[in-house]
Amino acid sequence: MKLNMKDIKAKYRELFVVEKAPEDKNKPKDIKKMARDFWYGKPHEERRLGDLYVGDTGLYKHREWRGLPDTMYYFNMVWLYNYAHMVTDIIKYGDGPMGLIDFAKGTMRYRWMGQTYLTVMHWFDRGMEGMRGEAMKASAWHYRGMVSETIRQFQEMFIADKKMHGGKEGKHYDKNIAHNETVGGSFFYPFRGQLEDIPLEMIPYFVSVHVNSHTVLNYIDAAQSIGLPSDPCPMCQAEYGLFVHDDYPDFAPAMVTTNEACDGSVATSVLQDWFLDRPLYALPQPMRYDDPLVQKNHQKEIEQCWKFIEDQYGVKFDWDTYVKTAQSFNKLTEFEWEKWDVAANTPYYPISGVAQALYRIYYSQDGDRPIWHEMDEHVRKIMNKTVKNKIETFPKTRHRAIAWSCAPLYYSHWCTWAYNCWGINCVINMDSLMFDQYLRTDTYENALEDLSWMNEKAPMRAMAVGGQEHILSLFDYMERFNCDMVIMYDQLQCKGMQGIHGVFEDEFRKRNIHAIWVPHALPDKRTVSRKEIRKIISDYMTTVMHEEPLDPTLVEFDDDKSW
Amino acid sequence: MKGFLRFLKKLFGICAVIYGILFVVFYWDLDGKFMYYIWEPFMVKRFDNMKREDNTKIPYMKKDILEPREYTEIY
Repeated sequence: MKLNMKDIKAKYRELFVVEKAPEDKNKPKDIKKMARDFWYGKPHEERRLGDLYVGDTGLYKHREWRGLPDTMYYFNMVWLYNYAHMVTDIIKYGDGPMGLIDFAKGTMRYRWMGQTYLTVMHWFDRGMEGMRGEAMKASAWHYRGMVSETIRQFQEMFIADKKMHGGKEGKHYDKNIAHNETVGGSFFYPFRGQLEDIPLEMIPYFVSVHVNSHTVLNYIDAAQSIGLPSDPCPMCQAEYGLFVHDDYPDFAPAMVTTNEACDGSVATSVLQDWFLDRPLYALPQPMRYDDPLVQKNHQKEIEQCWKFIEDQYGVKFDWDTYVKTAQSFNKLTEFEWEKWDVAANTPYYPISGVAQALYRIYYSQDGDRPIWHEMDEHVRKIMNKTVKNKIETFPKTRHRAIAWSCAPLYYSHWCTWAYNCWGINCVINMDSLMFDQYLRTDTYENALEDLSWMNEKAPMRAMAVGGQEHILSLFDYMERFNCDMVIMYDQLQCKGMQGIHGVFEDEFRKRNIHAIWVPHALPDKRTVSRKEIRKIISDYMTTVMHEEPLDPTLVEFDDDKSW
Repeated sequence: MKGFLRFLKKLFGICAVIYGILFVVFYWDLDGKFMYYIWEPFMVKRFDNMKREDNTKIPYMKKDILEPREYTEIY
């Protein structure tokens, strides 16, 4: 290949040079303003964030200049800090320096690892684009918690994985129990310390889509390649696609699975049962759980799950460990309520919409782990400061939005864009409101009852396909969080939510609510692209709301090939 | 003492250079560009060409012998 100077210059311009805005080209230099922009960053309306992108890749010509203090904070405490701690986490959770070798082997063996997670700092960038001060800091701590826990999980998988150890069981293999990602970690509290509960698909599938939306497409296509239908929820397709594609780590001798959120995804359990070919217990999440008879039945099923674990692993149910772990988890719940209180009643809430949603769904699904407490302490300090000093964390807020139903995993950071472009501040979302259950530990009966309720409030179970009265609780939450706008996710392959579409339309009209329907196909970005999602929101903001964008460069840009 | 100070100065200089290089990598998104243009295509090629087990050949036959009634019986 012959490269000439002209090509090199053109490539350099494409990758690194941000063109000046037409109106700025002939402006005389204002030194005072330049100094102010250097120190504080440009005012929101002058940022032109869309000009920073390299074509449709989502890469930056250069990362955003947020002003000297915030840029240096982001460089030192987000970028450098996280890269450095990723290495220490890999060693820590990989049982010492040898963990680095297991990590390298896993990177070369699994597509979801090698292709996906190394791009993690761009996940931070997308989530924190345009953010400043305390909001940037608090949201970054939430991301840090998720990264650390992700490393813990994949390192636990790698060191035990048969596939990475020549077919032989690796370290701790017989102490690991695999479970479906929507089976809450809380079920395993009585066995913590004796066993390590690791969700099988959370890292290979769910978290990976947020970090890099390219990888999951292989699993969806693999599922369809053996003749399985393409119209069920693509989440289920991706989950069993991992097995068809032979890209799941073999790290545990038994599995606890579930019907997840919908009866359609029962097929995932059936297929996993086939592919795993080992003892498997299916722990259901009841569909119509308001019926009191369901409660007793479900509690019995939880006890049977515990018996299954005792039989398979020769361990004993430990009440004291359950109490200790559940009480520790309750502390996370208490702080979550504090956060909701600040988010609902003040403009001082320092967590962005995407950080709020992902962190909450991750830790409540995963269960009690030390890293969540550590991160909550960091965030608590920041939130105390913003409340005490009355710091408006999202000062350009024009609309306080609530996002309802299941979010597009490949575009969970849409709310960062919506705030930067239109001043839509997504204060709360449905996934954050799941698992809202305090776990009593005074008696065994109460503990079992609360655990059962917690499972019935699992993601998507309660407010997506849990019956009309729960789905329509949107309007109560809208009032509670002082929202004036609804971002209504329209998961095109969720039969449950599609069935209630018309009811929502009627309710929005009746209540005169501004609601923007956002169609998507959960992890599959090919069905509705990010660009199309932005266009729908932008069209509504111009034609219905008659508003002007805060940053016009963000109204239309292409990021089809971005992570 | 002088030697120690010289060492400290040198160490500080090296650290400052490394810090500067890292800032350049950060600011110009060189880590992202490396991942996007070099690392990811290499990984995609590797994983696309990787030999994989055909898991559909696993016989589905253990079900009957693995689950005793007490796990599934509802009463």
